[in-house]
Amino acid sequence: MEPNVEAVQPQFRSGISGAKIVFDDIRGLIPDPPETDGTSFTALLELPPPQAVELLVKEDFPAKTMPLPIFPSNIALIDRASMFSVFASADNPPDRTNIFSASSSVKQEPLESEYHRNSSSPAVSDQSLKSIKRKEREKKVKESTKKSKKVVANEASDGSGEQLPYVHVRARRGQATDSHSLAERARREKINARMKLLQDLVPGCNKISGTAMVLDEIINHVQALQRQVEFLSMRVAAVNPRIDFNFDALLAVDSESSIDNSYLGLFPPSIWPEGQTNGSRQQQPWLIDGLHLPSMGRVDNSSNFITPENSLLSYDSPANSASLHSSQLKIEL
Amino acid sequence: MKARSSLEREFLEKWRKGLQIGKEDSTILERKDAIKLSADVAIAATKNAATHWRRALLCDVVSENPTNKHVVEHILGHKFKNTATRLTACSRRILRISQKRRQKAAPRRVVPKSRKRNRSRALRMLVPGGEEMDGVLLLQETLDYIVSLRAQVDVMRCLASIG
Repeated sequence: MEPNVEAVQPQFRSGISGAKIVFDDIRGLIPDPPETDGTSFTALLELPPPQAVELLVKEDFPAKTMPLPIFPSNIALIDRASMFSVFASADNPPDRTNIFSASSSVKQEPLESEYHRNSSSPAVSDQSLKSIKRKEREKKVKESTKKSKKVVANEASDGSGEQLPYVHVRARRGQATDSHSLAERARREKINARMKLLQDLVPGCNKISGTAMVLDEIINHVQALQRQVEFLSMRVAAVNPRIDFNFDALLAVDSESSIDNSYLGLFPPSIWPEGQTNGSRQQQPWLIDGLHLPSMGRVDNSSNFITPENSLLSYDSPANSASLHSSQLKIEL
Repeated sequence: MKARSSLEREFLEKWRKGLQIGKEDSTILERKDAIKLSADVAIAATKNAATHWRRALLCDVVSENPTNKHVVEHILGHKFKNTATRLTACSRRILRISQKRRQKAAPRRVVPKSRKRNRSRALRMLVPGGEEMDGVLLLQETLDYIVSLRAQVDVMRCLASIG
């Protein structure tokens, strides 16, 4: 008991003003306004009524005026308060929260705020939280521990970096409350969020379930894009005899040929050399004469309508042609 | 006018800038290399974002051929310091060991970890600078990289199809 008192005490003493601010913010989050129902609260908590009401009503906690003997009862209050989280997620059953939200809200917030403020000593807060949880299990007033998860961060959806100084994670019901697994869970959630974004980005990944297959698709997509860049740069080099060509004129022509590119983008899936449709307006013969592609096999000379994907397929046949085929199909879709 | 995103327009501008300083190359391969170089540097210089893959790509370009450095600086507009150089083999090994230890603490998943690790390794090799990223960062960078690659491919395809 003693070490717990010492652990809790400094936290109550420090950062009172900060506690008040956080308290106000957090109170906005609570759907139910905290009710000061003294009788049920005290009956459950087995506390002397005046102390309980005093703790409920009091907004700020001048710890200096709090006499020491109150602390043991405060800890009991904390135990029960920490059992029932105020920041419940939507799946929190209402029967649990309405009675105890009153009691827990007032006490939980300063407690949590103290934990929040004490960023320099996360170990202390962790330990005290763990010790409190252990005491809960010993006392066993109500059902098992149920907390909600709250991550204080803004995860940018465009993939820009997160600035998380401190992740506040609480365990879900029936899951380990080990700090390691909590951190792991937070990390996994981040990864899953990113993976979902990638699924939206890469075409054809929506139907696939399971991160492994999606990863495969992503890898294929990136590989195909890189190969396309390689190949297109070769085409640009072939089209323009000199590097020093006029970009502005090309830009002007660029706008006219927007229709062509829609054709390019909407090629039917059958893009193997034989099945090449005449969807594109590329009338220029492919400059194959004297063209020696490095580390690329024989280029198909027979057809005049060789698209980048076509020649890619023809020369890349020895190495993983299947994946290339599927990736090319997916790109063109 | 074409509905080009700002990213693509920026890429086109920078690409043009890079190509302007290219010397007259005779063979098609040299031209292709110069074009590709300018395109890669241009796509890495877009958006003014300091993502890992952009820095790594520029470092790779410069370390591959020191003469590329003036292309890089011309496109970037400012001096390019090799501050964000790639890690050495030793430090890379240290990184991997620490990552392995971190992942061992987590409960295992249904898919055998070897396959997942192979895939993440493959992805790391594809994305520039991927070896030094952990799981979360890797996916983030991949996202950005895919978007940029797409813009690059779109613009190049347009340019290649006309004329």
